[in-house]
Order: sequence, then structure tokens, then C-alpha cells
Amino acid sequence: MEVTQDLSFVHLVSNASVLVQLVLGLLLLVSLMSWWYIFLKMFAIRNEIRLTEEFEDAFWHNQNLNELYKYANSSSLRNQGALERIFAAGFVEFVKLKKQHGVEANAVMDGTRRAMRATYQREMDRLESHLAFLASVGSVSPYVGLFGTVWGIMNAFRGLANVGQATLAHVAPGIAEALVATAMGLFAAIPAVVAYNRYAHEINRLSTRFDSFTEEFSNVLQRQP
Amino acid sequence: MSATVYYEPNKLPAGILALLVHSIFFALLYFGLNWNRHAYLPATMTVQLWSSLPDEVVAPPVIPKAEEVVPPPQPEKIVQPDIVIPEKKKPVPVPVEVPKPKPEIKKTAPKAAKVAKPKSDTPKLGKQNAEARRIAEQQAALQKAEQARQAEQAAAIGRVVDEYQAKIQAKIRRNIVMPPNVANDARAEFMVTLLPGGTVLNAVRLKSSGNTAYDDAVERAILKSDPLPLPPDATLFYRFRELDMVFKPTE
Repeated sequence: MEVTQDLSFVHLVSNASVLVQLVLGLLLLVSLMSWWYIFLKMFAIRNEIRLTEEFEDAFWHNQNLNELYKYANSSSLRNQGALERIFAAGFVEFVKLKKQHGVEANAVMDGTRRAMRATYQREMDRLESHLAFLASVGSVSPYVGLFGTVWGIMNAFRGLANVGQATLAHVAPGIAEALVATAMGLFAAIPAVVAYNRYAHEINRLSTRFDSFTEEFSNVLQRQP
Repeated sequence: MSATVYYEPNKLPAGILALLVHSIFFALLYFGLNWNRHAYLPATMTVQLWSSLPDEVVAPPVIPKAEEVVPPPQPEKIVQPDIVIPEKKKPVPVPVEVPKPKPEIKKTAPKAAKVAKPKSDTPKLGKQNAEARRIAEQQAALQKAEQARQAEQAAAIGRVVDEYQAKIQAKIRRNIVMPPNVANDARAEFMVTLLPGGTVLNAVRLKSSGNTAYDDAVERAILKSDPLPLPPDATLFYRFRELDMVFKPTE
């Protein structure tokens, strides 16, 4: 009977039904993409945190805003952090408004804040890109895997109905190959969920950092003659 | 302010790392499952034993058969010295000992008498008597051998019957779906009536185990095991017409 049942992974997948194979393929693709984004975001966020720290350091040690602006603009696009862009946008707007005569101090500050706000939102959008993908992979792929498993088990039991004397050995391979789909779904989902939570937390921290910087920078600008 | 052009760093390293993670995962899956498959092998070996065990049990007793056939000559050897002793003590013991063999082997006696009459010497008579006795002993030995053979046959039949009873028990036991909370000392006795061919006619519970769930499980297993294995020799069927079987959860 089933003395030498080959239960290797390759055998299981190649013997699975077409739908289960499709589900497995989809999950593999999704998992690859989610891992790609995980690493992409990991590098991006780490880079962002480093640049933010560097610029904050420079900002608090250098009281000359013009020099700071030069410093912020001199760095290449790659080394330009979100905070530098916010600073540059606010400073440029402030200088422009100051040059125009007859603009009230309050209006200057409002314009500067709006400019910083816009850049801040654009930066946040950039930082949060792909996070939604990770979130949906984390929540949906277990269900997709479960769907493949249910389908595979359905097939296994349907095959069982044709066998007179049913033993566990008749169902076991079918269930095993069906469970590969669940394993695949979980493999895609777990890292995605962990990464999403971690990155969301880190981006949240960055965002409060940007917010407080905006406020502090506004104060600094207000004190400018 | 080229805010719309973003530099997404490390696209390639991220892709390579993602591929790496997946290859590690699949290597783990592949080797993990391979490893498990080797672990399954012993289990399947025990399954094989189920079908081959009874045959192996039958095989060993065949060898003792040959050994048991050999012993009958031994009694003959022991008998011969007895005969030799009376020959030496010709005068006195012969008359006493002669009557003994006669009642034993009256059928062979005439032959011995015919041979004995022409030669009328008394010592020869003793010898003839001894020869007659020897023949008688040989015949007795033959009879014994035949009896032994019959006993062997009966034993062989008994062995076949035992083997198939064990097979029937094993088949039924395999089909028992154990209900929970069955005491280890539960003991259900059933009488199973069979038709030729192994079809189960009915199963009557003789003694309940005290646990109705277990009784029902056993009864269901008996009916589910239809047809039961029977020896190929149809003449043995009378031994299987009604089977008294005891089922214990620990077996």
C-alpha cells in the first residue's frame, strides 16, 4: 500500500490540485513582494532616522540659518532627509515673505507653517508608502492560504469517498499538501504583520519628531528680526 | 524643490535579501519534510509486519515437525536392548515373558508361528518369539508414528485455526474506534456467527464490558470487518462457524 509514500515538499506541491497550486503561486509572489518591501522600508526608515538625527544635531549646534540652508541644500538628493526638506521649504518661504514689504508678521509665520506642513505631509506620504501593502498582505494572505487548504482537504475527502476501507493514510497526503498552502500563507503574513507594526511605530515616532521640529523652527523664525 | 522625485535607496539589495529569505525558507521546508519522511519509514515497516507476521509464525513450527518425526526411532533403540537381555537369560525368563507379547500382537503372531514351527528347537523358539516381538514393536512404533503424524496434522490444523482466529481478532481490533474513558480492564465477549466466505451473519454480545460505548464500538467493528479472513481450506470452516471472542481495550 503506502509503504514508501514520498512526502517531500516538491512531491506535495507537484501533486496538489491546480487551484491549490495557483494559490501557492500567488502567495509566493505576494510573499516575495512583501519581503522586498520589508527590506526596502527597513533601509529607508533606518536611513531616515540617521539623516534626521544628523540634521537635528546640525540645527541645534548651528545658529546661522543661512549656513544651515546651504548645508541642507548642498547634500545630494540621496542624503537629503525629510527634516532637511521641511526646513528648506519653511526657510525659503520665510525669506520670500520677508522680502515682500507690507506683509504682517503673523501672515509670514502662517505662510511659512503652511509650506512646512505641505512638505511634511509629502514626506510622510513617502515614508508610509508600501506600508498599506504590508498591512493587507498580513491580514489577507492567511485567508488565501486557508482557502487553498480547504480546497485541498475537500479534494482529499472527495477522493476518500471512493475508497471502501478508509484509513488515515488515504487522507494524510492530501491534507499535507493542502496544509502547505496554509504554511505559505502564514509565512507571507507573519513577517508582513510584524514589519507593518514595527514600521508604523517608527514612522509615528519620526512624524512626532518632524512635528516638534516644525514648532521649534517656527519659534526660531519668529524670533528673527 | 524637486519634492516629487524621490530616491528609493537600496532597491537591489532589498530584492536580493527577499530572495535569500525565501530560499532559506524553502530549503528549510524541503529538508524538514525530507527528514520527516525518513522518520515515517519505521512506522510503515511495522505496518508491513501486520500482514507478514502470521506467516512467519507458521513457518517456525514446520522445523520442529521434522525434529519430532525423528524421535520415534529412539523408542525402538531403547526397546531392542530389552529384547537382548531375555535372549541371554534363556531358560528361566522366557516362559514368563512370552505370554506378554502374545496378547499384544495376536495379528502378527500367526506369521511368527508359521516361521517358528518348522524349526522346533527351543532356543530358536525363544529367538522367534523375540523376532515376533520385534516386529510387533516395530508395528507399534509405526502406529505410534502414525498417531504422532495425526497429532501433528491436528496440531497443524489447530495452528491454522489459531492463526486465522488471530487474524480475525486483529482485523476487528483494527476497526474498533475507541470511545473515550474506557477502563483498562473492560472485557467484552461476543459470539460471531459466520457464513462460508467469511461474511458476518450476526454478532451477539455474550458479556457486556460494562461500558456500552465500548460494547457498541466492538460490535460496529465486527460488522465493519465483514468479510473476515478465513483459511483457504474450506473443510476447516466448521471451526469458524461460531466464534467466541473476547475483546479488551488494552490488547
